[in-house]
Amino acid sequence: MNAKEKARERTTALKRLREEHAETVARTQALLKEQQAFRKKLRAAMKGGPKTIPQIAAASGLPSDKVLWHVMAMKKYDMVREVGRDADYYQYQLAEEVAE
Amino acid sequence: MAEERLRVDALVVGGGIAGMQASLDLADQGYHVALVEREPSIGGKMIALSKVFPTLDCCSCITTPKMSAVAHHENIHLFTYTEVKTIEPNGGSYLVHCVEKPRYVDTGLCTGCRQCEYACPIDLPDPFQMGLSAHRAIRVPFSTAVPQKAVLDIDHCLLCGKCEKACPVDAIDFTQGPQDLVIEARAIVLATGYETTPRDAKAEYGAGKLSNVIDGLMMERLLAPTGPYLHVLRPSDGKEPDSIAYVQCAGSRDETLGVSYCSRVCCMYAIKQAMLLSGALPMADITIYYMDIRTFGKGYEQFYQNARAMGIEFVKAKVGRITEDEYRNPIVRVEIMEEASRVEERKHDLVVLSVGMLPAYDPRPLYGVPIAEDGFVEAACPNIAPPMTAQPGVFAAGTATGPMDIVDSIVMAGAAAAEAAAYLERHDGEAKTYAGRSISMGEKEAIHA
Ligand SMILES: Cc1cc2nc3c(=O)[nH]c(=O)nc-3n(C[C@H](O)[C@H](O)[C@H](O)COP(=O)(O)OP(=O)(O)OC[C@H]3O[C@@H](n4cnc5c(N)ncnc54)[C@H](O)[C@@H]3O)c2cc1C
Repeated sequence: MNAKEKARERTTALKRLREEHAETVARTQALLKEQQAFRKKLRAAMKGGPKTIPQIAAASGLPSDKVLWHVMAMKKYDMVREVGRDADYYQYQLAEEVAE
Repeated sequence: MAEERLRVDALVVGGGIAGMQASLDLADQGYHVALVEREPSIGGKMIALSKVFPTLDCCSCITTPKMSAVAHHENIHLFTYTEVKTIEPNGGSYLVHCVEKPRYVDTGLCTGCRQCEYACPIDLPDPFQMGLSAHRAIRVPFSTAVPQKAVLDIDHCLLCGKCEKACPVDAIDFTQGPQDLVIEARAIVLATGYETTPRDAKAEYGAGKLSNVIDGLMMERLLAPTGPYLHVLRPSDGKEPDSIAYVQCAGSRDETLGVSYCSRVCCMYAIKQAMLLSGALPMADITIYYMDIRTFGKGYEQFYQNARAMGIEFVKAKVGRITEDEYRNPIVRVEIMEEASRVEERKHDLVVLSVGMLPAYDPRPLYGVPIAEDGFVEAACPNIAPPMTAQPGVFAAGTATGPMDIVDSIVMAGAAAAEAAAYLERHDGEAKTYAGRSISMGEKEAIHA
């Protein structure tokens, strides 16, 4: 199969998948939007130095269990670093701030 | 239409420790084995555990070499992300129709570099981390997954194509569909394992809604070096817990859940975790609320005594209810069953439910293999040959047959492999086409269906 035929086959397959999975794609898009809005608030609250999960939750008004989940997700994908400790809590900071 | 058919001596269903051990034991004797695992990686529950009782060996260090040995054994054909759809008897053998689910990744090209995973924009609860942290719609299932290949979850995919752009070897393949495969096997070993009692099974214990009431497998992840937080923290707010309690028999010996049996491993895994917690959090108070402690295996009673000597508090008590205060600290209402029985409410930072074992798979519809009253595979001759089922040529091993620990799962897998090998030898003459292992076993051939 040459490159052109391969590209055509891929386009057809994607079109078919978009049709077949229209509902799950729409649901995932809604989830992504929700996550992006959450992350925007989270990032804003995390600015300006190391913070614990309760501190981020208080600054953002977001629930602390969800803050922890997102911070851990961001940490896994190198967007957040664990930088220290404050009593019973670890402190986290945005990766770009740590690098500065 | 041409259909791919693989002829083997034995099919092993399930790639947990029992299935891997049965496959290796058969393969080492020269038998050709097809191992079918429904998940994208082999390893089963064991690969997610932290350390194992009673030796406290690192679980990943024991399991990973076995996974690798299975993947590289010349007599084992490994099919991950594959499920058995139908089975037909075929004159001394079984024709097993399987479907390999699409990964939307060309595994021949994928190097497991995870650049697709980093590019994917959506975060989803990661089942390997028991939902405590995230993974992406396309991901390598976990760091020691075998095969170390990405898999795309089409039901949570945005079809945005970012993974395609990020892949340095052009391995993303949206043209993939389910692949049919026929395996012709003379014997079958069922090693389909267990699930745990759902965390939300009991309304009295918060019905899964209290974030600081977790289960044993979640604690395994918190204790593992590859865990979701890389520390033991409580899920409500990331606090390092000062006080941790275990509730034993949370899903076993409980008629209200229809589980009357003892799950056999919960006492030992709670004691193990308590010991590991004492190491990870030396200042923490650890309490185990129990009805009886059952330490049946070699070295297990000593393990329990060591835990007591380390200062872990064992309280003979029945836990009636778990609620939480305004800081989400779990409040455990216990009936203490010591000299004078009394009811107390005790506050902890984190509570672990020692959930029990349930069968993961019902083999009746496909394999015609009966199950016992507890839902696990019924042994046809429990006292003489425990791995034998009522179906000729079909054997069972590990927790597919009932609650058991890793040692017993491995022993039973060895026994199932030995029974299957004996069966194959006994039936060598009957199935002429399969008689000479050197001629026909493990050959892939196209048949025209
Ligand atoms: C919290 C906890 C801690 C534990 N700690 C210890 C410990 O320290 N030491 C110890 O000895 N034991 C421990 N155990 C017990 C241990 O996990 C089990 O004994 C062991 O993992 C059982 O292995 P298995 O292969 O039988 O089952 P599993 O690990 O469940 O493997 C079964 C495999 O079969 C696959 N499968 C299921 N159905 C199908 C199907 N239809 N088709 C294809 N594939 C299928 C599954 O995906 C899975 O990969 C612990 C258990 C728990 C819950």
